Formats: sequence, C-alpha cells, structure tokens
Amino acid sequence: MSAVIAADRLSKYYGNVLGLNEVSLTVEEGITGLLGPNGAGKSTFMKLVTGQLWTDLGTVTVRGRRTWNAPELFRAIGFCPEHDVFYEDMTGFEFVAGLMRLHGFPKAEARDRAARSLELVDLGKDKDRLIRGYSRGMRQRVKFAQAVAHDPGIVILDEPMSGLDPLGKRKLIRLIKDFKKEGRTILVSSHVLPEIEALTSRVVLIHQGRVLAEGDVPFIRELIEAHPHQISVRSSDPRGLAARFVGDASIQKMTFGADGRTLVVETHRRDEFFGRLTGAVLEAGIEVEEISSPDDNLQAVFEYLVGK
Amino acid sequence: MNVGGPAARVFGVFFPLGLKTGKTRALALLGLFPVLLAVVARIFLRGRSGDMAAVFTEILMVFFLQLYVVILALFYGTSVVAEEVENRTLAYLVTRPVPKPAVVLGKFAAYALLMFALVGVGLGVSFFVLNAPRLADPSLYLTFLRYLGVLGLGILAYTAFFTFLGALLKKAIIVGLIFGFGWENIIQYFPGSTQRFSLVHYLKSLLPYRPAGIVGGGGGRGVALLLFRLEPTPPLLAVLALAALTAVFLGLACLLFRTKEYLYEE
Amino acid sequence: MAVVREKGYAHWDGRLVERRRPWWPITRTGIRLAFRKKAFRFFFAGGFLPAFFALGGLYVSERLEDFKALVQSNRALLRIDPAYFRTFLVNPPFLFLLLIVLVFAASGLVADDLKHNSLQLYFSRPLSKKDYIVGKMSVVAFFVLALAGLPWLLLVAFKLVFAGNLRFLAAYPLLPLGILGYAVFLAVFFALLFMLLSASSRNSRYVSILVFTTYLFSDILSGILTGIFRTPYMGLFSLRANIQQAGSVFFGTKPPLAVPPVWSFAVLAAIGALSLVVLDRKIRGVEVIK
Repeated sequence: MSAVIAADRLSKYYGNVLGLNEVSLTVEEGITGLLGPNGAGKSTFMKLVTGQLWTDLGTVTVRGRRTWNAPELFRAIGFCPEHDVFYEDMTGFEFVAGLMRLHGFPKAEARDRAARSLELVDLGKDKDRLIRGYSRGMRQRVKFAQAVAHDPGIVILDEPMSGLDPLGKRKLIRLIKDFKKEGRTILVSSHVLPEIEALTSRVVLIHQGRVLAEGDVPFIRELIEAHPHQISVRSSDPRGLAARFVGDASIQKMTFGADGRTLVVETHRRDEFFGRLTGAVLEAGIEVEEISSPDDNLQAVFEYLVGK
Repeated sequence: MNVGGPAARVFGVFFPLGLKTGKTRALALLGLFPVLLAVVARIFLRGRSGDMAAVFTEILMVFFLQLYVVILALFYGTSVVAEEVENRTLAYLVTRPVPKPAVVLGKFAAYALLMFALVGVGLGVSFFVLNAPRLADPSLYLTFLRYLGVLGLGILAYTAFFTFLGALLKKAIIVGLIFGFGWENIIQYFPGSTQRFSLVHYLKSLLPYRPAGIVGGGGGRGVALLLFRLEPTPPLLAVLALAALTAVFLGLACLLFRTKEYLYEE
Repeated sequence: MAVVREKGYAHWDGRLVERRRPWWPITRTGIRLAFRKKAFRFFFAGGFLPAFFALGGLYVSERLEDFKALVQSNRALLRIDPAYFRTFLVNPPFLFLLLIVLVFAASGLVADDLKHNSLQLYFSRPLSKKDYIVGKMSVVAFFVLALAGLPWLLLVAFKLVFAGNLRFLAAYPLLPLGILGYAVFLAVFFALLFMLLSASSRNSRYVSILVFTTYLFSDILSGILTGIFRTPYMGLFSLRANIQQAGSVFFGTKPPLAVPPVWSFAVLAAIGALSLVVLDRKIRGVEVIK
C-alpha cells in the first residue's frame, strides 16, 4: 500500500522548544492511531499535515504533495481540530453548511450535505439550535460532522472523543470503522489508550516530539526485547505450578497474586513457556482457570517505551 | 491563483454571520444615535436651515468620521484575521480548498458591506431628518451621496489598515486604538505634508461642506475642530490616495496571511 | 492532643485563623498579570513622563536665574502652585495616557473571568462577592494611584527639597491632600468604570474598544449638544469634562465649565452606582441557564 501521508525527518520548533524531533513515518489507508500523552506532539504533527504550520526541517506530504499553502488538497482532507471553538452565533446546521459552501458546493448541495452529516452524528434534531447552547458532547459531534460532510478521502481527527460520553464514543468508533471500510484513510490522535485500541491495531507512539514506535501492538511488543513478557496463570495450585518452573533458566521472575490463586511469570521466551506450561499442568493435574498476558496491551508497551 | 470565486464564497458565509452577531446589533444602535440628535436638533433649531447644515456637518464630521467609522473599522478589521487566531477558529478556514488571500478578501468585503449599511442608515436618516424642508432640492441628494462616499472610502481605508494590523500583530487592537484615536487626532496639528501621513486628512479633504473662512478655523465649533489647520489635498488626489492605501494595506494583509504562521496562545 | 489519621486525612485540632484580606490575592494576581505584558510595561513607564516634565519645571522654577533666556516669556508657566499640578494631572493627554495604561491592565479583569467561566472557581473558595469586586477594583486603583498619586506627592517633596525651605507647603498646605484626594477619586471612579465596562462583555478586546468609545463618545456628544443647546450644562455628558470639573475642586482652581462642580460629582457617582448594580447582577457563582 502506498503512503497517503508521509513525513520525512520532520521537525518543528516553537522558539527554543522542539515540538517535533526528526519524525519520519507513513500513514497508509485505513485507521492509524497517533498515541501519546499531552504535549507529546500529536497536535503539532496534525497541524503540519494539514498545512496550518510550516515545517522547520524535513517534509510532510499528503498524496505526494506538500500541504503548506496547498488549498486544493483540502477537497480530499477533512480535519477535526482539538479545540472546542466555534462561530457561536451560528446554528449547527449553518456552521456545517457554511463550511460546505467554502468547499464550493452549490447552496442546495451544501445544505443537503450538512443535514446528512449532522444526522450521521445524531444531531439531526438539534441542528437548528445555536452552537452556544450545545452540550460538550454535541459540540464535539458537530466538529466531527464538519470534518466529514464533504466526503473526504483522508480524515484527520485530533482528539475526536474528548468530551463524549461512553455511548457517544462507541458510536463514533463505529462511524470511524465504517469510514475505513469505505477505503478512506483516517488518522486519529488520542492520549486515552483504550480509545485507540478500540479503533485500530495500527499505532504510532509519540512522546516528547519523537516517534517511539510504529506498527501494530503485538509487533511493537515483540520489538521490546529488553522487557520480559508477563503471563498470568490462575489455577487451583499456583505454588505447585511455580515449583515446576523454579529451575527454568528462561523464567526471570515469578510472583503470586493477592488472591492466592494467581501466578505471574516474567519470561523472555514466551512461546517456550507456553509449551512447558501445558506439559506441567498435565503432569501435575493442576486445574487452570485462566491464562492471560497482562502486558500485551498498549498501556504496558507505552510504559516500557517511555521507561516508566 | 483564482481568488474571486473562493472570496465570494467566504463573503457568502461571513456576511450573514456578521448580521447576526451581538456586536453588530450594539454598533447599529450606536449608529442610530445621530438620528436621535437630528430629531432633537429639528425640535430645538426649527426654521434655522443654516444651523441645520452646521449641525449635520458637526454630527457627520465629528461623530461619524472621528468615532463611528474608526470604531467600526477597528472591530471588523481586526476580526478578519486577529479574531480568528484569538478564537482559534482559524483552523476551520485554512483547512478548506480556499486560497488564504480569498479568506481575507471575502471577509473584508463582507464586513465592509455590513459597515456601509450601518453607516448608511444612520447617515441617511439623520441627514434627511435635518434637511426635511429641502427634500425637493436635487442638490441635497448629491451632497448626501458625497458624504456617503466619503464615509464609504473611510470604511474601506480604515478597515484595510486594521485588517493589515490584525494580520501582522497579536495586539492589533491596542495599536489600532492608538492610531485611530491618538495619531489621527494629533496629526492635524502638524504642518505641511505631515498631515498626509494620516487617513483622515484625505477624508476631510473630500468633505462637501466648507463654511466660509473654514481653512484655519471658523464655522461651527465641531467643524472648526475637525477642519482645524487642514491643508486639503485636491479631491481627485485624495480619492486616489485612499484607493491606493486601501489596496496596499489589503494586499499586505493577504500576503502576510498567506506567508505567516499563526500560533495559538496556549 | 494527638493527631488522628483516617484515610490519609489528619484531623486538626487547632484554631482556623481567617484571613483579614481575602481580596488581596485577587489584586496581587491582577497586578502581576498586567506586568507580564511587555507592551503594558512600556506604557506604564510612559505614564511617568508627565511627572518627569513637571519635575523639570520644578527644578527650573528654583533656578530661574540660570534659565533666564529660556523662561523669559514663560515665567507665568513656571509659577509653582496648585494650578501647576492641576495643569499636568487634569489635562486630556494625561487622562488619555491613563486610559491606555488601564486598558492594558484592566480590560480583562471581569471579561476574562466571564469568558472562561472562572467565577465558579472564585466562589468555591471562602470569598464573597464583595471581596471579588474589591480585589478587582484594587488592581485599577493600584495603577491609578501609582501614576496619578505617588509621583506627584513626591514632586511636592522635591519642590521643598529644591527650595530648601517649607515656604511652599506653608503657602499651599492643602496641596498634598488635594493631590491625594484627586488620585483617590480618580482611582475609585476608574475602578468602577472599568469594572462596569469589563463586565459588559466576555471579550477583553471588545472591552478595550468600549473604553475608548465611551470616553470619546461622551466628549463628542457633549460637544454636539453644546452646539445645539448652547448651554455649558451639556458638558456634563462628557466624562473628561466631569473629571476636570472634579479635579478643579481638589486643586482649588476655577472649574473649566460654568457649572457647579457638584453636578459633575453627581454624574460620576451615578456611573459608579450603575457599575455596582451591573456588577451585582453579573458576578454570580452559579450560572443561570435560561
């Protein structure tokens, strides 16, 4: 798949502060999550991609074209900004329809598109209310509506789920996944790990202006050779199980859970451990209730990478 | 780069928006104040048409020229760019298939028309109230159009300047206030060509009402204040100067908006 | 008594001493925020220029022999009396300069709190509406007193030092009181005026424009009405003229308008009263949603 968005050694300075530091990454079709804590550089990257900031060093292109002062690119790009700001004297409908007029759609089509996109985000009933009277969640949804009303092939969403309730978040996640099925490219940023995990397995981890890792979660996890995998086994006899692995050189650490039924093992050779676990369980006749990998998730991966 | 069509689209969005805002309503109320004064003047100065003309000129020149047009241009001129940055709504405009200069031009046109309407209503009603006995006189209408033209040029020139300031500076309002109410007033005391370093000089040079012996003072108190030490520029040159200044400031604003990076205050 | 810890909290058995000036942190923060702006610092420094010019005049007045050629035709100008101080303190350029400084320092005093819905943060502390208003007003008062009070009182001291005797004070014993009274009067009036205008909008930018509009519009209105009605009482519509009328009382000089100064005080007091009414309505801890 060819890169839709490509950044090559991208750096951005704010005075003496480095907002982005030598960021090189590609975003392909589908959903890519940009994950990092507040101040990591996610919004800066998105502003560079959408041509709101110029690059100090390096390049960023969308479909092979630089984005600074390239307004024609925005026929195919939809952007949902992070900040909760609007033209407060407009209704939700006027706001989206007005922005569609800027895209060059005739009046009737602009109104039609605005109505459809507001319906999509469940704001059909409230579209004629002033935005200043909207709740936080409604404001977030109207922001999303203006980003997608012109059917862009590339959708860039900066913290789109901020301010949404759990139901709203679920609906938005479903919407974004539907967009992916239509063949669009979606770049979503968040600092909330479960949101990104729910959306996509393709993640770019960013921290202090640098890309820490890029790829799907298991792939990233495999990269972290330095950190042993954690495997949790809940059974009827955790100590008996532990006794069978004490002499195993591939096991780095074993701890017992507070519930008295869990054994947590840290090992560099996960597959080998699983093989030996099966044998040990059968030999000892131990009843295993649950096997899980507590650190096979984004949270743990991120914490490893930032060295916490 | 075609900016005409996109600018027209921007105009189509911001002109109706401008009509709705609270600030427009408040400024429209302020613009009706001369009407109130005109009614009061009609009641208290009935039959004295010479006084009527002087009163109108005082209202026009002192209120519209030295306060209302400047206030309007400051509000709306700085809104073209600076308010978008301050309110962080800039992202909605620059992530559209609209060239950046078209955003400036479209908003400028929308706000200029809005201001022209605000000024036109106040000016028109107050003028015709004060000159009610002379409504059959065709020269009256020419005089009115000339006053309207002066204020129209003032709106264009001041708004273009404040648009440029808004594109250039973060604290455009303060600089604009000092320019509009400080420099533009003080400059009249400077001799020779120094007066030409102000916008109001060219506007005053175009005013149709010039009581006898006005140059250097005379006439009604308001007139005397406004035309104090005026060394007028010939009208055609004044119009050209205003048009050129409008074009230059607007061009600079477009250029700045296109090339400058606007960072939000975090 | 032993300290008991429960769930991480310690029960304290001491006496809570209530702060006497709960408004002071608001004032202190407002002043600090103003000084953070570079442009404000520039204009604030500029606000002392009239005092420096006046100081120059004081010096020259004590050294007339040395400056004979310079002051030949201007001897009257260098007569140091209450009118000399009034000339500097009550003239339109000084008031305009004060206005610019206060626009920087005070436009956002209430407007920014309304914009960011910060009032709830204030009133979730043991802070009354009065404390909030006094705290905010004190920011304005600080800057007015700093520009219109302190330097001019110091100038009286300089005059005595330059003269080497107390004759000036003996001749005009009420002058320091007059300067202080005028400065306090200005401080209170501008504080109320700025609070009124700042509470009128959530946008401090608009408030800046509103300040100048109000000041200049009142002047223009007064001029127009005077032209129509040809009576000095129309001068009462002008904020500047009213301040100058009041100033003449503090310095014991002839008022600029042929109107009893009590009328000017009444107009300014009415504006102050309006400000308090508006503030009482606008400053609320809980937002009422209609």
